[in-house]
Amino acid sequence: MDPSSTPKAASPSLARHAITYPRFLWKALGVATDGGVPFYLWMTVLTAVFLVGMNAWSHQIVNGMGVTNLTDHVSWGIYIGNFTYMEGIAAGAVMMVIPAFLYRDRKMYDVVIIGQILAIAAIIATLAFVVVDLGRIDRSWHLIPGIGRFNWPISMLSWDVVVLNGYLLLNLHVVGYMLYSRFQNREPTRAFYLPFVIFTIIWTIFTLSVCAFLYTGLGGRPYWNNAILGPRFIISSFVTGPAFLVLALQIIRRTTRFHVGDAPINTLIKVLRVTVLANLFMVMHEVFAELYTGTAHGASAQYLYFGLHGHDALVPWIWTAMAFNAIAALLLLFTNERTHLLRIDVACVLLLIGIWIEKAMALIIPAFVPSTLHEIVEYLPNALEWKVSLGLFALGLMIFTLGVKLAVAVFTGEMKAEGAPR
Amino acid sequence: MSSLVLLLALVACDRGYSDPSRELAPAAPAGEPQAITIRKPPAVGVWKAPLSDDPDRDPDLPESATCGTCHGPEPELEIVVEPGEPFHTNIEVEHGTLTCDHCHDKDRTLLREANGTKHDFSEVAQLCAQCHGPTAKAYENGAHGGMNGYWDLSQGPRTKNNCVDCHPAHAPDFGQVMPVHPPRDRHMGNH
Amino acid sequence: MDDTSRRTAMKLGGATLGAAAFARSIAPLTEWVPTLSSEEFLQKHYKELSREEMETVLRRVEAMTLEEYGAEVTVQDIRPMDGVQFGYALNLSTCVGCRKCAEACHNENNHDRSTNQSYIRVLEMTKGSVSLDLSSVEYDHAVPAEDKYYMPVQCHQCDNAPCVTACPIEATWKEADGIVVVDYDWCIGCRYCEAACPYHARRFNFTKPEIPAEEINPDQAYLSNRIRPVGVVEKCTFCLHRTRVGRLPACLEACPAGSRVFGNLLDPKSEIRWIIENTRVFVLKEDVGTQPRFFYFFDS
Repeated sequence: MDPSSTPKAASPSLARHAITYPRFLWKALGVATDGGVPFYLWMTVLTAVFLVGMNAWSHQIVNGMGVTNLTDHVSWGIYIGNFTYMEGIAAGAVMMVIPAFLYRDRKMYDVVIIGQILAIAAIIATLAFVVVDLGRIDRSWHLIPGIGRFNWPISMLSWDVVVLNGYLLLNLHVVGYMLYSRFQNREPTRAFYLPFVIFTIIWTIFTLSVCAFLYTGLGGRPYWNNAILGPRFIISSFVTGPAFLVLALQIIRRTTRFHVGDAPINTLIKVLRVTVLANLFMVMHEVFAELYTGTAHGASAQYLYFGLHGHDALVPWIWTAMAFNAIAALLLLFTNERTHLLRIDVACVLLLIGIWIEKAMALIIPAFVPSTLHEIVEYLPNALEWKVSLGLFALGLMIFTLGVKLAVAVFTGEMKAEGAPR
Repeated sequence: MSSLVLLLALVACDRGYSDPSRELAPAAPAGEPQAITIRKPPAVGVWKAPLSDDPDRDPDLPESATCGTCHGPEPELEIVVEPGEPFHTNIEVEHGTLTCDHCHDKDRTLLREANGTKHDFSEVAQLCAQCHGPTAKAYENGAHGGMNGYWDLSQGPRTKNNCVDCHPAHAPDFGQVMPVHPPRDRHMGNH
Repeated sequence: MDDTSRRTAMKLGGATLGAAAFARSIAPLTEWVPTLSSEEFLQKHYKELSREEMETVLRRVEAMTLEEYGAEVTVQDIRPMDGVQFGYALNLSTCVGCRKCAEACHNENNHDRSTNQSYIRVLEMTKGSVSLDLSSVEYDHAVPAEDKYYMPVQCHQCDNAPCVTACPIEATWKEADGIVVVDYDWCIGCRYCEAACPYHARRFNFTKPEIPAEEINPDQAYLSNRIRPVGVVEKCTFCLHRTRVGRLPACLEACPAGSRVFGNLLDPKSEIRWIIENTRVFVLKEDVGTQPRFFYFFDS
């Protein structure tokens, strides 16, 4: 699997690509949908959940957003929360790329493609969460630069559309190019991917920052309008991305012929040990700044952690998140991954849930409670919002699964161009 | 870098209307400014309450009367109330320490300022102004008092309330009212 | 039958089943699609419409109102007047908190009836404090109450409007006379402006507004009080369908306490200018840098 040992073939002419590339796509469709009973079962379950979500969304389109629990007071809820969470996962996936290419960690090279496939799947889910949050999906074309009327560079949301789609394209290019090269059993030309990979790393930080600016850029929401939100968002992304990948790589290792060594997993665990603590460290600073002085700007944090004027819907959620993150930190710190990998896995699951609460529930909702006129209107998602959300998570997982299947097929040589040199 | 700045500047400048004919409406026709009409109470004080609290009173007595009906130089009615007998008990004066003579002329047909200047009832605002200077000033400048009609007098007239439209002279406190139109947002779940 | 073709057949079967299930799951959309009109779908941004196109749009909105609400209305495209910058002031010393302004707004601007929607929220504040934290909007007792004062809040038509900055598609902007408007036919309903507004001035149409035909105010403008579509954001426009033809806003005329003052900031003889120059004036949340055109003042 070491790229340096793969024999090099002469670069085929452009004309040949016209034949090879469609063939690659056709075969890709074939292998991505090929599998054993567990695979079909998994995909069927995901499809079912996705369709339930689509059905719920259809009802939302027909009847208006009134079918959700959103109000004029809490005008953004679990959709934007999940948007934020998934953007974190997408960007966090790049934590595979950084060690691989910045530190030239050769053991990372082989699995870095998995991280980028995760980025693609997660970014599609991220965009989908924005789409379901729109009141007028029929007018979404107004967002297309050139055709619509794009308020760029003024609106942070227009920036976000740019960076997210750019991030998607960058990752699609790198993944597509890598797989296509492997498909033809050719050594990828560095000039065609390395600059893009380096650019992806920079773009990731940029993407996460822009997403944070969506919130910190609103002077009327003191809970968001602070400088640590961005760094905290970036750090927690570097928790969820690696945590998901640690689990995903183990599953891939067990269920496919794809070779995943211990080294990449251990590197990710090392990353996690740092980011989990850094995240908790920033939580401490945020909580202190919000609550110690007792200013009115701390009302949202007060509501989140302890309840405000008898309203406390989020209190159980945030303390669950705190507990999960703290337990996960302890597990990560005091476990030898070589002997007790299962404990690390437990930590990863706890972190995925804990950070989900932090991002989806605790980052978005308290900014609206109390409202800008200090009315307290509470919000928790209703069944329909849960269905739509789970449906989109299922969509992300489906794309990830298909992408991984394709990558595995190409990397194990199961899928290759006819006449490609072995 | 400089090209980025240029780009930002280009995009940031406001994009106006594609059809310039829709940009602005012509300035308001510079016609003669129309009047501000101040609503006026009747020129003589009208006492609206029953003239007597006695249930067995003379049914021929009018329902309401002007002050001068009894108090004028030539009263139209003979005053049948003995001094000391309770009368006008339903005139509740809740106006600081003021008594009748602070505002009413002796014969009650005119209003009278402290310096002796007399006013018709319709000129009540000038009487009020002798004590409520700042409010009168605010009223004159449009900062006090309800109004209707046009802010732009070149396009139409305006009507302004008079002091006693909102503040009954004998008990000028605005008083309490029950609020209307409570919010019934979605989350309140009562619709 | 070899393994490959059997697999292909299975996959085809699976794909067919999946497609059928997908169609079933989005079946509710079949009642939605016919409600979309292609002219509305393709309609350009307000600023890009020519005079003729605007006319077509206005007549279509009138026809839709007749069809869907059974009311004959006139919808106009009323432009800002030259040489006019609107400003609004509210006297906190005299406001009694009766909410007549909110009611007038509700009727004037064709708001949804069931939610008592209004662009004005009246806060019952506690004397001795300017903290919104000690305020309430749901008071239901005789007003003005002892120890309370009242602060109606509506769109402040900020000169540095965070809602306008936020909008990703220029569906909301500031007009030449200072009024911040929304093109209800361009808004995609992302509600970023609602998150950006520090004054709770924006409302989202969670459902299609419901108003009995006989209660509909037929004097309408495209950018203000025409009945809004579902799924878009709306806001106070200083009643531009009235104020741009010289009339006073509905909330002002309804105020029994005479607490509201409206006018042209460019006219040195206007009432609004006198207030700014001669009374104690403040703007709400000056610290967020929004530069409002809505001033609160006290009796001197």
